[in-house]
Amino acid sequence: MSTTTIDTTTSEITDAADAGDASLPALPTSRELYGRWEKQQWAVADVKVDRDAPVWQEMRPFIRQELLAALAELEVGEVCVVQTLSSLVDHAPSEDDRIYLATQLADEGRHVRFFQDYLSDAAGIDLEDAADGKALEAAASYGNLFEPTLRRSTARVREPGEGGTTAWYQALVQYHLITEGVLAATALRTMRTLARRAKLPALTEGLTNVTRDETRHVTYGLIAARHGVTAGHRDTIAETYLAGTRLAARVMVAPETRAVTPVLRIALRSRAAQLTGQWDMARDRMLRQLAVIGLPELRAEAARTWQSGCDQAMDEYRERWDTEHPVRRAAAA
Amino acid sequence: METTETTEDLGRRVRDLIGRMSPLGERTAESHHDVMNDLGYDSVAIVELALVLETEFELQPIDDEQAFDVVTVGDVEQLVRRLSGAGA
Ligand SMILES: [Fe+2]
Ligand SMILES: [Fe+2]
Repeated sequence: MSTTTIDTTTSEITDAADAGDASLPALPTSRELYGRWEKQQWAVADVKVDRDAPVWQEMRPFIRQELLAALAELEVGEVCVVQTLSSLVDHAPSEDDRIYLATQLADEGRHVRFFQDYLSDAAGIDLEDAADGKALEAAASYGNLFEPTLRRSTARVREPGEGGTTAWYQALVQYHLITEGVLAATALRTMRTLARRAKLPALTEGLTNVTRDETRHVTYGLIAARHGVTAGHRDTIAETYLAGTRLAARVMVAPETRAVTPVLRIALRSRAAQLTGQWDMARDRMLRQLAVIGLPELRAEAARTWQSGCDQAMDEYRERWDTEHPVRRAAAA
Repeated sequence: METTETTEDLGRRVRDLIGRMSPLGERTAESHHDVMNDLGYDSVAIVELALVLETEFELQPIDDEQAFDVVTVGDVEQLVRRLSGAGA
């Protein structure tokens, strides 16, 4: 048994999944995560999102579009998780789990508030306006591709006689490990780099706070999944993880969205490198989590599933837009 | 004579644009400036610059473009000349 302790107090999502090759690193308990939640409080009002507004007013169209698209992904994801977590709370395996999950529900509510306040008071987006906010939300890849699956599986947890604990573990994998541990963690990291680059102090501060909360959430997912693996739910967790992996690869490629594809090859290569950098980050997290929850033997298959998910999504992109995805185009050039 | 003026004019417009869009803040860009080291362009800024150049100069892809190594502002001027057909 490894003695590695996991520091989840830092601002990056450096949870147990980052411990790399240490097999089965020590994880905190859900009771300890509750204690961290008490110490790591923050308030949306203290971030003062409107101090970024002058920067947004001067921002050039390309950076604005990049930031808005990334913010919309996060906002849509947060709205979805706040609406779906309660079934996991209600059917939690123990009282400690339930109490921890109740704190997470409060966090997710705070995240929705932060992203919505930020979009309206800093970026000047009216989320209720069809031409502005609604269109932005409708373009979010997560909302189109993953949200229906998460909604279905969290709803199934509530249905009597519909699998009970099995349904709970399926929802947990899709929620904590894939949505939060792979997709949100990657999106937050990308977004924080963009925020620092664009010199947006309120966004940088808010994202740092959200990331700290998400670190606890992902850590909880790892604790619960590792327990599930040893408590007779190994196959359910493995199967759900692989299906989630395929879907997550599709969300990252986003075949339903027309991608920025510069004509100049130097720029096309830059763009492709940015995208593959994000895809690799997501894939690496996906693989590391498997080791932490006690399924290291699944990594080779998961890596193949990820790759074929990306390939399939890029095929889909070509069919839909009648042109190659910029990553393929750059590889061919 | 007229071609030379057009070419110079195009070079000036490219330099103005690169100077205006520098991540270090608006400044004067000269042909000998290194786009990344002197003017602070990173990969995001390169993509942004390329998209603006494409619209502004109606650039079309050409086959031997990868032969160009874009390091200086002058390299970008030359590339835009080639891809917009002005210097062909
Ligand atoms: Fe969240
Ligand atoms: Fe979360």
